[in-house]
Formats: sequence, structure tokens, C-alpha cells
Amino acid sequence: MQLRLTVNGRAHELDVPAQATLLDVLRDELGLTGTKQGCNEGECGACTVLVDGKAVDSCVLMALAAAGSEIVTVEGLAAPDGTLSPLQRAFVEAGGVQCGFCTPGFLMTLTAALRETPAPSEDEIRAAIAGNICRCTGYTQIVEAVQAAARMEARG
Amino acid sequence: MPSEPAPALARNAIDFVDARHVHQALAALDAYGGEATVLAGGTDVVVQLLQGLIRPRALVHIRRLPELAGVASGERTEIGALTTHWELGTHPAIRAEHAALAQAARTVGGRQTQNVGTIAGNVVNASPAADLLPALLVAGAQVAMRSSAGTRSLALERFLVDRKRTALEPNELVTALSLERPGPRTAETYLKVGRRGAMEVALVGLAARLQLDDAGRLGDVRIAVCSVGPTAFRAHQAEAALTGSRGEEEAVAEAAQLLQAAARPIDDVRGTAAYRRRVLAGLLARAVSACVRSAMSEGGRGRCS
Amino acid sequence: MTAVVGERVERSDGVTKVTGEAVYGVDHVEPGMLHGKILRSPVPAGRIARLDVSRARLLPGVHGVYTAADAPAHRAGWLLREQHLFARDAVRYEGEPIALVVADSVEAAKRALEAVELEIELEAPIGDVESALAEGARLVHPEWESYEVAGPEQYPRSGNVAAETVSDPDPAAFERAFAEADCVVEDEFRAPRQYQAFLEPRSAVARYENGRYVVHTASQYPFNVRDRVAQFLGVRPSDVRVVGHHIGGGFGAKLDASLEPYAAFAARAVGRPVKIVNERAEDLLTCPSRENAIVRLRTALSADGRILGRELECLMDNGAYSGEMPFLASVPMHVLGQVYRAGATRVTTRLVYTNTAPTGAFRGVGGLYLYFALERHMDNCARRLGIDRREFRLRNLLSSGDASLTGQVLEDADILREAFDRVEEVAPWASLSGRPAPEGKLRGVGIAACTWLTNPLPGSVTLKLNEDGTVGVVTAATENGSGAVAMGVTQIVAEQLGVRPEDVIVLMPDTDAAGYDAGSQGSRTTHIVGRAATIAAAEVREKIFAVAATMMEAAKEDLELADGRVFVAGDPDSGVALADVALAATFGSGPISGTGSYTTKPPAINPSCASGLLFPAFPTPTYHVHLAEVEVDPVTGRVDVTRYVVAQEVGKAINPDGVRGQIQGGVAQGLGYALFENIQIVDGRYQERRLETYRLPLAVDVPTVEIVLLEHPEAEGPYGARGVAEPPIVPVAAAVANAVADAIGRPVTRLPITPDDVLEALASPAPGG
Repeated sequence: MQLRLTVNGRAHELDVPAQATLLDVLRDELGLTGTKQGCNEGECGACTVLVDGKAVDSCVLMALAAAGSEIVTVEGLAAPDGTLSPLQRAFVEAGGVQCGFCTPGFLMTLTAALRETPAPSEDEIRAAIAGNICRCTGYTQIVEAVQAAARMEARG
Repeated sequence: MPSEPAPALARNAIDFVDARHVHQALAALDAYGGEATVLAGGTDVVVQLLQGLIRPRALVHIRRLPELAGVASGERTEIGALTTHWELGTHPAIRAEHAALAQAARTVGGRQTQNVGTIAGNVVNASPAADLLPALLVAGAQVAMRSSAGTRSLALERFLVDRKRTALEPNELVTALSLERPGPRTAETYLKVGRRGAMEVALVGLAARLQLDDAGRLGDVRIAVCSVGPTAFRAHQAEAALTGSRGEEEAVAEAAQLLQAAARPIDDVRGTAAYRRRVLAGLLARAVSACVRSAMSEGGRGRCS
Repeated sequence: MTAVVGERVERSDGVTKVTGEAVYGVDHVEPGMLHGKILRSPVPAGRIARLDVSRARLLPGVHGVYTAADAPAHRAGWLLREQHLFARDAVRYEGEPIALVVADSVEAAKRALEAVELEIELEAPIGDVESALAEGARLVHPEWESYEVAGPEQYPRSGNVAAETVSDPDPAAFERAFAEADCVVEDEFRAPRQYQAFLEPRSAVARYENGRYVVHTASQYPFNVRDRVAQFLGVRPSDVRVVGHHIGGGFGAKLDASLEPYAAFAARAVGRPVKIVNERAEDLLTCPSRENAIVRLRTALSADGRILGRELECLMDNGAYSGEMPFLASVPMHVLGQVYRAGATRVTTRLVYTNTAPTGAFRGVGGLYLYFALERHMDNCARRLGIDRREFRLRNLLSSGDASLTGQVLEDADILREAFDRVEEVAPWASLSGRPAPEGKLRGVGIAACTWLTNPLPGSVTLKLNEDGTVGVVTAATENGSGAVAMGVTQIVAEQLGVRPEDVIVLMPDTDAAGYDAGSQGSRTTHIVGRAATIAAAEVREKIFAVAATMMEAAKEDLELADGRVFVAGDPDSGVALADVALAATFGSGPISGTGSYTTKPPAINPSCASGLLFPAFPTPTYHVHLAEVEVDPVTGRVDVTRYVVAQEVGKAINPDGVRGQIQGGVAQGLGYALFENIQIVDGRYQERRLETYRLPLAVDVPTVEIVLLEHPEAEGPYGARGVAEPPIVPVAAAVANAVADAIGRPVTRLPITPDDVLEALASPAPGG
């Protein structure tokens, strides 16, 4: 079936199976493999993308249900010249990345969270990422990355 | 739980109806004669679809229906079917007057689930562990439904028929939930028991809404629980035991016993029936004491922890 | 000289991971690629009565359907050759591969799976070790005697006992110890399986070209995968090439082959590349999880708190096939005697076949339940004697020069006492022990110590100096996320050759290009591969200086290498750029490279200390003490870990962020094991089958760990570094369980400590003295 979506600012017109999820379409039709499949049941958050600015598990969103929406994936976070977003930079510098498989999902969840709450407390950060599983880091350095990014953004 | 791989759907084996208005959605439900599934946020439906637990011929996508959005405070609080968990958890009117519902909504999955999951979705899915149900039950919720034949409304208590079964007909849509607004000196809370701090299917969930009279005695008492029976339910006998008391230990203990007797918990992969029964007593005591304190101190509509 | 080792250097793969560019095993695609799906046994035990794939073969989009009839008839396996590629006749666990479909798409492959006609005559499954050991129990492997060992010699095994280790060095002394004891304490403990639950499911992409198999996979141990593929397909190891990718977590599960032999087999059969990816449910069901186990401990004590004798019996669930488990049957013996004096001992370990998924290595292996048992038992002993729990431990702690039960001398065991002291400095025991709990809660504190190893297996590195002065690193060492390669090896090479870490380019593992490496296991990579890198670097430096000496008309011995320059010592502004030396060398004396390989010299042990001891020593040991504080809700039974302190011996922290990340992450996994994660097995079937019920710790569940690092350089380690990554998980369940038992005043003998267990314990009477 026909599907029109905007992904990372680019419009696409695709023909997708009715039962495809947004995750399937991003990875298989558009080749945007930065968004990961971790569980396919909306539990781990590795597939998180922004749909009209909101963090959503793309593995449980039917592609056709996203018709007409603006999608942002991890590939859309850096500037066109490759400059990392403050959050991406902070993740690298703070040790918030180990195996990195969960990282795109965390970045999307946190990009939306920081827009909403630019100076979150530690508790607010942990609550914001409750839907994202990390098996490697034990979360502390992720929290520190968010705090560093918030400070970077505040400094302007 | 099936152990075979989920059955694969042939390309385009399912129809996708992207409804723009309610009448469109209703017409589609009529046309598919019970073989269509309504899709809103999808956090339950899509998981069930992917795991082969449901095999509808069509998905009727209603997420954009303007008629089903919005929260309004009139004689009752009217909550549109598509109100998301996040909206429930942050809406000022709901936080002020239906604290248990706001609290419950904040415990459904993580932010991703709360961003798209809806109140109607939670109600219609009717999981025995559905977090919103106890809070809705203590608010005397009514379910408003619509079909091509017209509208009707049913008390939530009667809407919930059995584990994952409701009174909703295949050609009907839930359009809104309406809640009783609280009177003065009323406090409510939702307590959820799980193993982790988030993303939990409730092991036990308990909502309490208590109103104190002028003399500080419990007048209007509502207790509802989930995960201790095939559906969430109001514990009317426990409520009666508390009514007229000040929430003292003996009254609470008696109510707890009645609550435990009314509960029909099972052993499942998450926990045992024995545990669920044990927890109920302490949970009730905790909820009652917190609500009594809150109702007394704030002197009006209260939110308590 | 700009120091790099010991500094907070960004990991070399950080940017590619935060941009979503990094290609993991699951992301790899090849032109013309087809998709494979495995048909897995829906039952734990039985015999295949009918298997008809004819209908499946005819479905649109299907290129092939393969079963045992199409595959080689011989058996393969890591240590014991006991497994066929596809089940032929006997089915031994739910999830065992029976057939493989290759099709145009994953959907088409799944449809074909449904069209396979499979009938299995059920057998009553042997679901647990006690049933397997019962009199007259059916054999999981009736032909066990005919299996060949892939190593030098047979090891003790028979019937349903897949391996057995027995140590009984002095029966007379043992009997005496128990006869003379003032107090004998006896305990039994049980622990479940733990699923590694890496975020990236297992996958493989294979093609067959030029008479060889080329397999792309996110493996922790490419050479082992190569060997297993070769074994299953009946070819030489060098007929298989394994190429690595970014790994989305492994924790031990990705050390052995899983999907690779199937993808390779299919690629040749169908004549096109084939990709197979596990769905999460099948990954969980078939993963070589940490084994479930029963541990029984008995200690003979003197009234003044000395341990006179100890007996340990351990039953480990092997699952249906052995993998590397027979090695791990040695671990109980090590644990019993490498922290506390044990007196006269007897240790019996049995690894037992059951009709469940084969178990395997998960960070810390059996150390988690063994230290849980040992440390719970220590608390119990202390309580029975009326001695403070910490004091009792100190009284029986090993010292430097003491030997473990295998005769291995622990030269620096005094570090254990130092670790206790360092924890005491930040978390004074006396003040924590008596602290009142907040209203409505119960509070407790627990302490645990452990000794762990650095895996000694070989690694190798080739360094090549590129003409532009950057350095290429060719190694099959794997970066599983820990930073051992992206930080550890990278920083060591950078410092050794005086270049910036950004100018060190490490190739992805490739078994064609790189020398043997034993994979990311046992915390070995920074230690072993780092050491190999320093050996290679020494050769490269020699060659650089030889060329530079000529260019600079200076003596080789006077030269130094730092900050991308070669210069006369003491005169850093003189000299030449390394790039110029490299260029001159390339077209002069020849391109410069160096090679190093390293493996730890095995510590001396007493070879007759036990029978069946396949893993005889814990080389390059490290020492650790953990302390946990918990609050328990007596209404819900929930346990909150409010404080967690780790004192860890690391030798030398090559990268502080990396070390901190391993400790924080390891503790988080340990908390999952202690409190949340469970695989209940009923009649051979897993009850927890998805991430909804297999609960992993979330950000709201894990406290920030307070870390105290001990750095006693180890002579053989690069810059003195010892293994870091495994130990943080090992004593966590022990410390937390001790804290919970302290809080509720009841025994804790099972993991995970569920709210259910806590309430049940609270409802039972408190134990007597």
C-alpha cells in the first residue's frame, strides 16, 4: 500500500506491505539501519524514533499509521556537515556508549525529553529513560551524559 | 504461550483503513462484520498482531479522529477515548481531580508507550492487570460507545465482562470515558506493586478514593483492584466495612479480610496467588492511611502518595 | 610526552555508534542475499516420527528447505562432539534446530516453516538435574560413550553426568575436622539461569565462494566460530573465514557459534549469501545462558571462629549439549579456597544433562551463584557463632603466599584485606550495621568478597606503520562494548608508538588476516592483547629507530618516540616526524611492521588435587570486596538497593571511564541476577520467554556505584593492567542477599530475591541462634 512520510526532513513515497511496522520500513525500505530491533514488542526501546516530535517505539507502530507524519531517526540528529548534536557529543565524552546498540534509542528518547525539560534532575532523567534498556552501562554514565548535554545547551 | 514462530502474514493479507472521521470508522467496522480490530496507539494491538494472537482481516486506524480527543470538566469529567497516558498523567484537571488516574497513567510502560497508548485502548484491552481500570472504577467511570446504530453508555463495572473481554460489540467504538468529579475532603491514590521500578505489568494494583464527612469519618469509600481476578473490580464489601470508620486499624483489617476474600488471584509467571493475597492487606492499609491523611490535611480534593 | 594510558580518552568507536552508522552483525547485508529461518523443536524431548518438507519446498519465494537428511552425519561441539547440525531422530530441548528454510524474504521463510509437517513422539522431559540423577532416569544421551572429546583426553563423565570434578585430598583430616568441630553449619542454595539479554540478537550472514565459507557475524570469538563452522561442515578451519562487526553486547553468549554453521551450510546449498537473525523469543529460548545450579555447603567451625573444614557439593545444569561447560565444572573448587581458608575440604561438582537449552558462559560464569552460596553461608556461620559477619571474614581471610585448593599460590592475596579496609574507609561497617531504618521499611547491610581471574588464553597483534605516520592494528581481538579494544588496546598502542589515539586504526576481526585470538572472555583482552601489542610495538620501535637514526645521523639508543615525532632524548624539538620516517622506510628498507603474541604462563598447581579439573588455575588473579545497603518494604516485599560500594583491584586503569563503565555495568547485571531476572523451568519449558517477563534492570532500578580502585601493577600486564570486566558482576548477588537477609532477619537461600520470597520469609518464624 502507498505510504507518504517525511523522514529526517526528506519526503518519501513508498509501497509497503500493510502489516509492516515503521521499524521495518525504516530499516528495510529506507536503509536507515541506525534504528535497531531489540525485541519487537515495545519493551526495550532500541527502536525509538521521534514521530511528530514524540518518542515512540517504532516496532509497535504500523507504518501506515505513521502516514503524513514527520519522523526523525538517529541519522537525523547530527547537522548536515556532520557536527554531532550536544547530546551525541556528550554520550561519547561521558562514556555513555559501550556496545552502542541501545544508543540510538536513548538518543531519540532523550532528544525529546531535553526539549521538554531542558534542565532535568537526575530522577527526571532516569524516569525519562525508563522505557529504554541498556545492558552494558548500568545507566550512570548515560545520566551523566544527559547532564553534560543540558549544561552544554544552557551555555548556548 | 505458543512456542511456534508467529504465523507470517502474506504480503497485504490485512486491510488498513485510515479513518478520518468517526462515521468512516463505524462504517468500516460494519463492513468487516467483526473481523476488524480497532487500532489507536497500537501498544497492545500491534504486539498481539506480531505475535499472532489476533488475526483480523482489517485494522481500522482511528488515531486521528478529532471527535475522540480532549478532556472537559463539566458535571462529570469527560475524557476522549484517544487521550494518551501521558496526557492523563500531565493534564491539570486530571491531576487535580483524578489523582489516582494520573498516577496510574504514569506507570503504564515507559514514555514511548505513554506517548501513544490511549485510555480507551487500556480499557478495551481489559487485561486483568490494566493499570487505569482501578482508578477509573473508583471514579465511577461510565463508558460511552457509538455504532452506526447510535450511542449507548455503560458503567465500567458492567463493561468489564471477563479477562480480556468487554461488553463492546464488534461494530462499536468507545468514544469517551466520563468520571465522577470528587467532592470536598476527598483524596485518592493508586498503588502498584511490581518487581522493577517501571515497565511493570502490575503484580497487584489498588486504587482508593475516600471522602471524609465533617466529623472526619469515611463517608464515600471506593476501593478497586487489578491483577487479583480475571478483571479489575470494585471491592464493595471492603468498602462497606470502612464506611463510617475513621480508617482505624480494626476497620482496615476487617476490610482487608473482605478484600482478600473477594480477590481471585492466580499463580502466573509473574507471581503467586499467595503473594498477591498477602500484599492486598498491607496495600489497603497503606492506601487508606495515606488518603485519610491527605483528605484531612488538604481539606479538599487531595492527591496523596 | 602526552600521556595516553591512564587518561580519559574517548573510545575510538564512539562517534560511529552515536550517529547510527556502526554496522552490527544484524545490519550486515550482501547483494543477492536470501533469508533463513530455523524450524525449532516445539517440545523439550522426543523422537521425530515424521518430517515432511515437500510442501514447504514448493511455496513461492522458497529456495531450499534442509534437514538432517541433507546435512553431514557427523557430530560437532566445543569440547565434546555430541551434536548434529539438525536433530536427527532425537530431539533434546525446546528450540533445537530441526530444519532450515531459505527464502526471498523473512516473511516467505516463516510461511514455509508453517508448511513443514513435523510430528514428534513425545518423551517425558528430564527438566532438572535432580530428575536426571534419579535412579533409573532416562538418558538424555543414550550414546554418550561414543562421543569423541575434541581435546587431548577423556574427562570423567557418564550417563546423565556430562562432567564431574571431585576433590577429596585428605579424607581422614576431613572427617576429623567435622568430628572435632564445635559447630557444624549446613546450607543449600539454588540459583536460576540468567539470560545474557544483549540488545543485539544473534545473527549470521554467510556466502560460499572459491571453495570457502565467508561468515559475517558479531562474534566475541571469531576463531572459535570458525572452528565450529568447520567442524559442523566437515572442512578445515582455514576453509572458513569469519569477519567481525560491531557487537551489540555478548557477555559470553556470543563466544560459541550459533547461527553461523546454518548460514554457511545454506549458503553453499543454495548458491547465494544467506542471512539468519534470531527473533528475541527464539534468542532467549536457545541462548547458552548462565546455568542454573544447586550448591550445598557444610562447614566445621571452632568456637573461636576458625574454619576447620568445608564441604561443597555443586550440581550444575548443563542443558542438552555441553558446549564449554565441562571447563566450568572446575569453578566451584576455585571459589571455595581462594578467598577464605577452608581447612580440610571435599568438593564434588557434577554437570548434568537435562532436556533444556544448552547452558554456557555469561560474565562471571558460576562465580555468581558460588559466591552467593559461599557468602550467605559465611553470614550464617558468623550468626551461629555469635561473631560479627565482617570480623568472621577477616579472621579467615587468605594472606599472600597462601595456596588455593588447587595448589595455586596467591602471591598477593593480602590485597583482599586491603580491599576490606578501603571499603571500611568509605562505608564503616559498625555505623552501617546499626543504622535505623526509615519509617515503614527494613534496612540491612551486606558484604562479600571474591577473587577472580584474568583468562590466560593466547592473543596476537600485528602493528603496521602506515606511510602517513598512522598505525594499523591487525588483531582478531573483539570489542564487545567494554572498551578493551576501542580504549585499552588503542591507548596502549598509541602510547607505545607515540601517536594520538585517533591515529591508531584497528581493523575489524578477520580470521584470514589476523593471528589467533581467544576472544573477549574472562576479562582477558586488555591484559593479553595489550601485552601482545607492547611486544609488537617493541619490534616496530626498533625498526623506526634504525631508520630514523640514519636519517638523523644519531645513535639508535639515544632516540625517543612521542607526539608523532622521533627525537634525541632530551631534545624534543629536534628530530623528524614519524610520518617522514614511515615514508622513508617504506621505499627504503621496507614497510615497517611488528608482531607480538602472548599467553599467560600457567601458574603452578598440584595436578593431583582433583579429578576432572579441566580448568586448573585462576591466572592473574584480582581481588574484590562489595558492600550493599538495602531497604525492604515489608508490605510489598520489594527490595531497594540504596547504596552499593565496590573495591576492585585492577592493576592499572588504562582508561578510568572504561573501568567505571565495566564496574557500573557489571553491578547492574548482578542486581538483575539478584532481584529481577528469572527463568523458571517447568517440564523442560521456559516460563519467561520475552522481555516483558524476563525483566532487565532499568535506569530507575540501578543506583550509582561508589568505586574504590586498587592499583597494584601486575608484572606481566601491559602497564601492570589486570582483567577488569568480569569481576564487578561476580559478588553482587552475594552482597545484596546478605543485606536482605540482614534486613528481614530471615535466611535467603534462593535467587532471584523476589517480593514473593521476601513476604513468605517474613511470614515465617525467625531462625533460632
